[in-house]
Amino acid sequence: MTKITVNGREVEADPKKPLIAACHSNHVEVPHYCYHPGLEPVGSCRICQVEVQQGTGPARVVVACRTYPAEGMVVQTESAKAHDTRRECLEFLLKNHPLDCPICDKAGECDLQDYTYAEGQSAGRSHEPRRPLEKRKSLGDVIVLDEERCILCSRCVRFFEEVTKKPQLTVSDLGSRSTISTFADRPLTGNYQGNIADLCPVGALTLSKFRFQARVWNLVKMVSTCAECSRGCSTTVEVLRGGEVKRFRPRENMAVNKWWLCDTGRFAFGHVNAVNRLDGSGTRENLARVRELLAEDPSAMLVASPFCTQEQGAAILEFARARGVQPYFLSPAPNALKDDLLHTGDPCPNRRGLTELGFAPLAPGEIGKPRTLLLLGERSAELAGAALASAQRVVLFDCHASSSPNVAVSIGVPTHVEQSGTWINNDGQRGVLGAARQAPSQVRPLTRLLPELAALLRAQPAPR
Amino acid sequence: MKKFETWLLDRCKVANAHTLAVYKQLGGYSALAKVLKGDKPMTPAEVINEMKLSELRGRGGAGFPTGMKWTFMPDPAKDPRPRYLAINADESEPGTCKDRVLMEKDPHGLVEGALIACYAMRAQAAYIYVRGEYRLSYQRLQAAIDEARAAGLVGKNVLGTDFSCEIHMHKGAGAYICGEETGLMESLEGKRGHPRPKPPFPAAFGLWGQPTTVNNVETIFNVPTIVARGGAWHAAIGTKGSKGNFLCGISGHVERPGVYELPFGVTAREIVEEVAGGVWKGRKCKAWFPGGSSCALVKGEDLDVVLDHDSLKTKGSSLGTAAMIIIDDQTSIARVMEIIARFYDHESCGQCSQCREGTQWLSQIFHRIATGHGQADDVATIESLAKGMAPGKTICALSDAAAIPTLSAVRLFKDELLECVRAKKDPIPYPRVEYAGAH
Repeated sequence: MTKITVNGREVEADPKKPLIAACHSNHVEVPHYCYHPGLEPVGSCRICQVEVQQGTGPARVVVACRTYPAEGMVVQTESAKAHDTRRECLEFLLKNHPLDCPICDKAGECDLQDYTYAEGQSAGRSHEPRRPLEKRKSLGDVIVLDEERCILCSRCVRFFEEVTKKPQLTVSDLGSRSTISTFADRPLTGNYQGNIADLCPVGALTLSKFRFQARVWNLVKMVSTCAECSRGCSTTVEVLRGGEVKRFRPRENMAVNKWWLCDTGRFAFGHVNAVNRLDGSGTRENLARVRELLAEDPSAMLVASPFCTQEQGAAILEFARARGVQPYFLSPAPNALKDDLLHTGDPCPNRRGLTELGFAPLAPGEIGKPRTLLLLGERSAELAGAALASAQRVVLFDCHASSSPNVAVSIGVPTHVEQSGTWINNDGQRGVLGAARQAPSQVRPLTRLLPELAALLRAQPAPR
Repeated sequence: MKKFETWLLDRCKVANAHTLAVYKQLGGYSALAKVLKGDKPMTPAEVINEMKLSELRGRGGAGFPTGMKWTFMPDPAKDPRPRYLAINADESEPGTCKDRVLMEKDPHGLVEGALIACYAMRAQAAYIYVRGEYRLSYQRLQAAIDEARAAGLVGKNVLGTDFSCEIHMHKGAGAYICGEETGLMESLEGKRGHPRPKPPFPAAFGLWGQPTTVNNVETIFNVPTIVARGGAWHAAIGTKGSKGNFLCGISGHVERPGVYELPFGVTAREIVEEVAGGVWKGRKCKAWFPGGSSCALVKGEDLDVVLDHDSLKTKGSSLGTAAMIIIDDQTSIARVMEIIARFYDHESCGQCSQCREGTQWLSQIFHRIATGHGQADDVATIESLAKGMAPGKTICALSDAAAIPTLSAVRLFKDELLECVRAKKDPIPYPRVEYAGAH
């Protein structure tokens, strides 16, 4: 570690990381487009200019992403010279930018907007027509490119080169005619395409599923964890006006997913947005019915959903112990999505957590033919699949109803975006879930339903 | 002009000097023999020392002392990585065509120079990056390398000694930016010719990440003569800070444009009037570029300046590649700048924001001014844009190369440009040629 001075404050800096990283880790904002902590710095956008003075030499304006901290370096990020250079750079970047912010999906979270706002660039001097380019060029099923908005930071190009290690994009042509393109206009492939929309500092790369879906400032954002595999990538879940989930986006977590998220997880809101939710009406009567069924069958089988949080798991466990049965969790077969970057192929996000609590994994085919089957938690009926039919009768605590005729009682529970909780991923890292929206009316979580059911069972012991 | 000794273009005047037989008749490969197996073979350090003594400065435009550049290569005892010499033959600076003459007429001179340079820097191989349009240069160089290889001069155990050296050719695909040393290396590696940010410098991290020195053709071409005759001999010719002879490619409005070998110390007026036959059609010189379009313009009155590295600085310009472009007094500066700005717009690699957008913007404004669509604020905008593009604000010097002539045009010919904008027409009419697209 070396000691440098940033805006008059002495800080410790890692000499192997660029100066901009030292500034950012000390909460000093330095504008940047081509720089991203997860990619090799190329120093091409030239916006991260700061004034640096070393030893007795004169102060120079340099790009912070290609300068490395050295002992005694004095850095001024807010000096007049640094601001002037950044303003010049912004003027060039805005020269051909279409400024179609009112219809741009990135508006509100666009670095070009933010830094222009910060530098106070109010008027343009250009009399020239703006560069006319392709406004909506499909780069496959996931990404749509607006060439006019692109500022050629090349983050997307480098993402495929450096992170997925399967280069797919390039900058083609020269100079002001440069555009981002794939070879021979082939569509992008792979399960990580969506990341380039996050990486894009402007509105050039947009998700085809998010285009014109929401103004980003109307989205309520909540910390969450991806439910698609046992990696448990940190995400934010973004909900429009308390209703539909519009986006899952990766949240930086160096211990798990760094800055990335696979497309499977990114677009996994089909389930949480599905209509016909089981609501909480008649829960009291339904619980009474469940009490009767359980009283008749003391060996009723308890099978939890792999989406159950540690808190729900603890409630199920307590309930199971009181009845003296072994609780299981549904463990479907690994899927073919496993790759060497993030996806583990294991569809159980809380496998490790539930196993540590004392649950035993149970493949859907191993359910057998119990007299009474209690399925507990989000998507449990869906994951049990055909095996559901083999039970004599089923008590279902799920967010969606099942059409199986042997379901005796269905009680609604919240999905993982509607309640807070904890999952533990395959590496033992805790992933938090926050409630991004409210569950349907009167729906109560398992952590409240099960103690209530236990109380009912205790109050009126069944006749033997 | 005083009599002077020549050595750069001498063989070019002899028929078939591009063949090994004629080249050897003219004393070729004797410098290599002297270095490798003379009475007292020279060590690599001795060769570098001669180069330092010669005070030869690079002829690619920047004028960096060659001997010093060679010492930047790491000590092979401490750094056992393979090391390379890259020869920049991607001559594409507007006005410059000196290397072409050498490669077409005297390719063995370059091969011999490359071998000695590789020996001095202990480089395993030299890569010659030839501009794609230079077909004859490529063919003649390749033929020369093949002949030399057959004669045991290139490849394993050169002249039967322990020294082995390969020479590879690479043909560029027509991008100016691939003449920038790091762009050239990227291109050689098979990538887009995007210049690399420096540091790391090529001597530490060059071709394929190995220590590399990049030299211009004319620089390397000087090496055999300097080694044969001694650095002190070379340092005795020329002016302070600029030693030896240089190739001056003079073009534009002169009677006899061409490539001439001249010693440092001659004035621009001597070159224009005595060598190139004066400004054409009896006209006067309005302005001139001393060394390609990336240098600042100099006024016609200032032709008496000595054409060397230091003297041109006093006129706010630089020697560049010593490719003089003479502009007569019936030429519109707006038109000149329109052409130059279009060149840089076309050739910017597009990495850095300032250069990508700035070169296009300058080109658009100069086009409007030259075609009578100037706006009142245009000249002021040009000046402030050029100041935003240079110096040193981008990865490589292309942005500077576009900004420097622009700033000089505004400095020297502001009134003419303003008049052009005010009158809404170019004061000096000329036949317009519309250019469609690239090349």
